[in-house]
Amino acid sequence: MVRQWQVFRWWILAWVVITLAGAVVLARLELAQQKDRFETNARIMHRLLSQRVVQHDAILATLALLQPTAEGPAEAAPEQRLPALYPQILAVQRRERDGVWPSPALAASEAESRQLKRATLAALDFRGGRYQLVLAAQPASFALTIDLRAMVPWSEWPLAPASSPVRAALEQAGQQFVLQPGRPAGAGWPFEFRKHLAADSQPFDVVVTQTIGWDELPWGRVALWTLAVAAVLAWLRHGLRQRAARARAEELLRLGQVARLNTLGELAAGMAHELNQPLTAVMANTQAARRLLDEDPPELDTARGAMAQAVEQARRASDVVGRLRRAVERPDLAGQTQPVDLPDVVRRALYLLEPECQRRSVAPVLEVVEPVTVLAEPVAMDQIVHNLLMNALQALEQVPVTQRRLTLTVDRHGALGRLRVADTGPGIAPEVLPRIFEPFFSTRTGGLGLGLSLCETLATHMGGALSATRNEAHGALFTLTLPRQPPTP
Amino acid sequence: MSPPTPTPTGSAPLSPLIHLIDDDAAVRDSLALLIGTVGLRVQTWSDPQAFIDRFDRQGIGAIVLDVRMPGISGLTVLDTLVAQGVDQPVIMLTGHGTVEMCRRAFKAGAAEFLEKPVNDEQLLEALQNAVRQHVRSRERHQADRQARDRYAQLSEREREVLGLIVAGLTNKEIGRALDLSPRTVETHRANLFAKLGAESLAQLIRHYAALVEAP
Repeated sequence: MVRQWQVFRWWILAWVVITLAGAVVLARLELAQQKDRFETNARIMHRLLSQRVVQHDAILATLALLQPTAEGPAEAAPEQRLPALYPQILAVQRRERDGVWPSPALAASEAESRQLKRATLAALDFRGGRYQLVLAAQPASFALTIDLRAMVPWSEWPLAPASSPVRAALEQAGQQFVLQPGRPAGAGWPFEFRKHLAADSQPFDVVVTQTIGWDELPWGRVALWTLAVAAVLAWLRHGLRQRAARARAEELLRLGQVARLNTLGELAAGMAHELNQPLTAVMANTQAARRLLDEDPPELDTARGAMAQAVEQARRASDVVGRLRRAVERPDLAGQTQPVDLPDVVRRALYLLEPECQRRSVAPVLEVVEPVTVLAEPVAMDQIVHNLLMNALQALEQVPVTQRRLTLTVDRHGALGRLRVADTGPGIAPEVLPRIFEPFFSTRTGGLGLGLSLCETLATHMGGALSATRNEAHGALFTLTLPRQPPTP
Repeated sequence: MSPPTPTPTGSAPLSPLIHLIDDDAAVRDSLALLIGTVGLRVQTWSDPQAFIDRFDRQGIGAIVLDVRMPGISGLTVLDTLVAQGVDQPVIMLTGHGTVEMCRRAFKAGAAEFLEKPVNDEQLLEALQNAVRQHVRSRERHQADRQARDRYAQLSEREREVLGLIVAGLTNKEIGRALDLSPRTVETHRANLFAKLGAESLAQLIRHYAALVEAP
């Protein structure tokens, strides 16, 4: 019991280790996939936003180059039509050569722009969601006021801003504009993407972050994996145990046969000695008596004594035989019968003899015509069926492999249950048939000649019968009949 | 142990004595009776150990030994007898003789190995052969001892001369080899023939060649 638990513990350990290793691999695969997706999305966001800011540079450059002249009121200037074309452009401002910017910030930016020869940022108001871009030019300079939210091309945006767990923001000089809030970060695996937009004039950082939480790991697949490992290990364990059980059963069977032979050998040796002593005395006495009678004159008295001794010793031999019979007399089998499922007995014997069958390339066929329960002693039943099968297998050894057939049929025969064992071996010679159940009669060299004799005795003691005939075509047919269990009222 | 049994047919006191060892009284008595019918004296023993301790090792005869006895195996008894230099031939009897047991018995020095129940002709013939063999072996043994005793009486010079005679040298050659005159050699030769009781050169060589070679 303790040993069993120890072995079982190893199985559990193996299960845990394999499950954990698999879970880690699954989680890593999932994380790698998530990261891949995250980076693709972040790069798309960066590209889309970059395209927009570059566009702003282009608009300003066009304005500076074309210098559209204002004819009439300032509102009618051509650049004032830009906000209608570009929703992100809230306003366009223009400073004529001699004009003045409405705010000093714009003037400072223009000076910077003039120095750098490119557009520069003016009033940066991420909180308000806007910023200004100024380009110094001749004769007039221009400034664009840009709405950050409108700047984002939402139609092409890779994620749903409201529901996506990814946080995206623009950062510049400590200010931050959140494009999509994402999910608040908790414990887990953080991803981050940070890159300048591709325009020197608007060097905003695109910052994309996402945290994969524990709850986002592929728990479903891990659970499936756990179950699969458990199932495979259980199956393996079952298979191994079954194999071990079969090996054990075969070993027991073999041991049983060896033990039986050993017992038989001991019995024979003991019997030989016990009988040999009186027989030796009988023989010596009678031979001495004959010699004494042959003498001239015959020694009658001594001869008479020798003969009396011989009689005495013959009686002793007879006693030995009687004692032996009583010692090996089988207990009353008829009193120990119980309902036994006949097909079950046959299947069990076939299972145990499977290696023997395989070795001889014999595939036994079992036909159960109808369920049969007989009244028998289970151990005796096993012994009979086992012996009949072994007998058939040994007979089949003597014919070519292609002709080997072993057919077992279970059916009812009136009030009897019947098992027929038919083989296609060489069959039973007519002169052998009447002696086949005699003890110590064997056609096999080295055979003890006790197997069939024992089967017949056992069957008879259980109220049944065992008979042997020639098979229809060729081979032998053994028929075992036993009383069926009467139907329960 | 059992005391020496008087033989049923009453033989001369110097006739060979058969020792029969078997634990079964019926077998012992019947075999003793059977052996007695050919005029051999029989002494029966039920206990192998008593037999080993007490039997007469000088007498002429043979031993009949059962292989299967309680306490001590017949093969062990046989080994003991051989180890003690007992020269009586041993006939083994067994109820179920295996080839292996038979091989062991013969290797250990058994003269014969018979199966029970034993055929009278076979047993009696084996016994008579064994006794004849024993008598011959004792005679040979006695002759050997006599030869050794006589050889011991020779002088050193006579032994040298005998060795060269056995080697096939003539008197002249012996004289040359031992730096003696042929006449002296002739004297030694006559003396040693007398001392050894040899009547011819052939007899001398047959009985004493082995002693010369083995100093």
